[in-house]
Amino acid sequence: MMDTLSNSLKDALKKLAGKAVVDRAAVDELVKNLQRALLSADVNVKLVMELSKAIRTRSLDEELPKNTNVRDHVLRIVYQELVRLVYATADVKLEPQVILMAGLQGSGKTTTTAKIARYFQKKGMKVGVICADTFRPGAYDQLSTLCAKINVPCFGDPKATDARKIVKDGLAAIKEQEIIIVDTQGRHALEPELIQEIIDLNVITKANHRWLVIDAALGQQASEQARRFHEAIGIDGVIITKMDGTAKGGGALSAVAETKSGIVFIGAGETIENLERFDANGFISRLLGMGDLQALYEKAQEAQMESDIDMEAMMKGKFTLRDMYKQLEALNKMGPLKQIMNMLPMGNMQLPEGVYDVTSTKMVRYRIIMDSMNAKELDDPGIINSSRMQRIARGAGGSPEEVRELLKYYKMMHKTLKGLRGATSGKFNMKRLMKRFSGMQ
Amino acid sequence: MFSGLRERLLAARNRLTGSIGAAAASSAPVEKPAGEIPAQTVAPKNETPSLAEKVKILIVDRELVVSEKDVSDALSDLEMTLLESDVALPVTDAIIANVRSGLVGKHRKIGESVDDLVVGALKSALLNVLGKGFDLPAYIKAHERPVKILFTGVNGTGKTTTVAKIGAYLKKQGFSVVIGAGDTYRAGAIEQIGVHAERLGIKIIEHQSGADPSAVLFDTVQYAIAHKTDVVLADTAGRFHTKANLMSQLDKIRRVMKPDLIIYVDEAVAGNDAVVRAAEFDKTVGADAIVLTKADMDSRGGAAISIAHTIGKPLLFLGTGQAYEDIVPFEPGAVVEELLGCDA
Repeated sequence: MMDTLSNSLKDALKKLAGKAVVDRAAVDELVKNLQRALLSADVNVKLVMELSKAIRTRSLDEELPKNTNVRDHVLRIVYQELVRLVYATADVKLEPQVILMAGLQGSGKTTTTAKIARYFQKKGMKVGVICADTFRPGAYDQLSTLCAKINVPCFGDPKATDARKIVKDGLAAIKEQEIIIVDTQGRHALEPELIQEIIDLNVITKANHRWLVIDAALGQQASEQARRFHEAIGIDGVIITKMDGTAKGGGALSAVAETKSGIVFIGAGETIENLERFDANGFISRLLGMGDLQALYEKAQEAQMESDIDMEAMMKGKFTLRDMYKQLEALNKMGPLKQIMNMLPMGNMQLPEGVYDVTSTKMVRYRIIMDSMNAKELDDPGIINSSRMQRIARGAGGSPEEVRELLKYYKMMHKTLKGLRGATSGKFNMKRLMKRFSGMQ
Repeated sequence: MFSGLRERLLAARNRLTGSIGAAAASSAPVEKPAGEIPAQTVAPKNETPSLAEKVKILIVDRELVVSEKDVSDALSDLEMTLLESDVALPVTDAIIANVRSGLVGKHRKIGESVDDLVVGALKSALLNVLGKGFDLPAYIKAHERPVKILFTGVNGTGKTTTVAKIGAYLKKQGFSVVIGAGDTYRAGAIEQIGVHAERLGIKIIEHQSGADPSAVLFDTVQYAIAHKTDVVLADTAGRFHTKANLMSQLDKIRRVMKPDLIIYVDEAVAGNDAVVRAAEFDKTVGADAIVLTKADMDSRGGAAISIAHTIGKPLLFLGTGQAYEDIVPFEPGAVVEELLGCDA
């Protein structure tokens, strides 16, 4: 399902690619597809509406920067607006502090508590944990087992019923630890006694941080729950758990918007090491089901190279070995072709499999062989007969077989381009693709 | 439960009724054009009487054919309503299509109220999606004992608590129950289900942590056969549908214990992912019924609609709180009736 969504999103972007001016209908379609992608990633409906409004206005109103095509322009706006949504990454300081964990039942607080203890421990801090979950059977056993594995002291009493008392005792018992993490019972916003309990715990612990644990699969309810938690204790960080499933974590965005805080950690896996600091780019890419947008920009920037491939001639079918040489050179700087194709928001266009087959080592060989050709041969590969082939092979330190292979590849590329030429006006703009490959913006 | 969704649906319904009414108004030149239909936020109570009056005034002696245009705005409102209620996108699309085909082109007879027409379309769309309920006690009575029930689901949806609740429920109904502590992975899981079983006075079969869950559950079934126990409740570790090895472990459990019923447990607050994972679980190990937990957190209930629609299996219970008795058998007819009940 997600695949079709991201494909329609890519298709919508593709439509923008060929445009010289920002086209209202195309932007509308893009925004519509974006909405669907975000909604099915569980982003709050109101947030999605605000976001799409901002993207639409900005795309249509802002002047197209020089040397930027429409697609890049719109893509950048989309990207900026999305980054704005996730706010800043919350800071994690390596200093003595008390952290209070809060969240719904089954969101993964206890596991996350142990993971965070491990995180600080690895950074060289002295960590202690208090189990203030006096309700769920086995909660203390769970936390103490996990803590025992990493030699972190865990304070708790499975028989106690008063979370406030446990926390008081615990703070006294493990006060020599630099970082104290208080795991609490799962609760939701509609349980007033439990909300009062966590308000009290917050007062007792004088917690420096109050982190809200959000299940990646949490839906529209996330907003409401986060708001209530925020009202109660002032959430200053959000942790998304269970990102190893297929859930996109859009609910966490609602929580972030409600609490005006950042995402601290992401939990993705069942072992104690499976905790990562939050990375906005990766998160957004996953949300939209598209390749890593930022990585693509960086790659394209790194590959700053001359752009004198004669596009016009090429599209007319005049594709010589010289063009291929430049193309290979460009590709070499940008990484494997297939990877690039996956990063481009081009939709699901198909190139013949053979095009991908040229590995980077082979590309280097091809270039060496072409270096051994003379100008005439480069312009008109048709004249290469067996005696020329012998000479080229010897010059490149290879066999005539290799030269033959190169020519075969050239013919295939030639044919592919010819085939695509017919489709230029239709769904796919080859020119744009070639420009992309050669690093022209 | 579901009261939030109910309110929203009522608003959407009023909107639909309104736009059809408005269409009637424009086709009746004598009448003044219908005023702006009150926004969704207006409390339905205030709206109903005025609407009823309006409908009375507006319906002249003519038959009205509902056109696509009349309902498109209202339907997109309904779409937002469903999305906001956590009904997954593809499911929302399906419901909207259903309502549209139920409304568009319909001839409305004189006297037949717009409201009835709209309610009818919505009701049949929702009933279509929610399917029939599932009567567990009746199922157990009708089958050879022990009836083996396997619980599956992703992490943290409340499988263990649900096992305890269903254990308590069945015990109250007079069945004898044994629980198999099949979650040998998560720290504290055996202790958790152990405490529940002890409190409820239910026999539990457990191995130590890290043991093969298939072996635990096999032993549980053997115990039930030897002791002529009515029901085996098999708890399992939560697992993500993306972990192939864990899913094949679940498949092995299924082969070893041969469950009569596989119950898929998910939470009412889950968003769009509920659909993805329910489909995956259904595909790899199958699911005969669904239990939706944490329904007390959420008054929207969209996940119920999403999951039921995706795998087409009945909803068995709703978990509505932390106590053992907080479990309600799910009756789709009653729920839809309640959702669309005329008097708010």
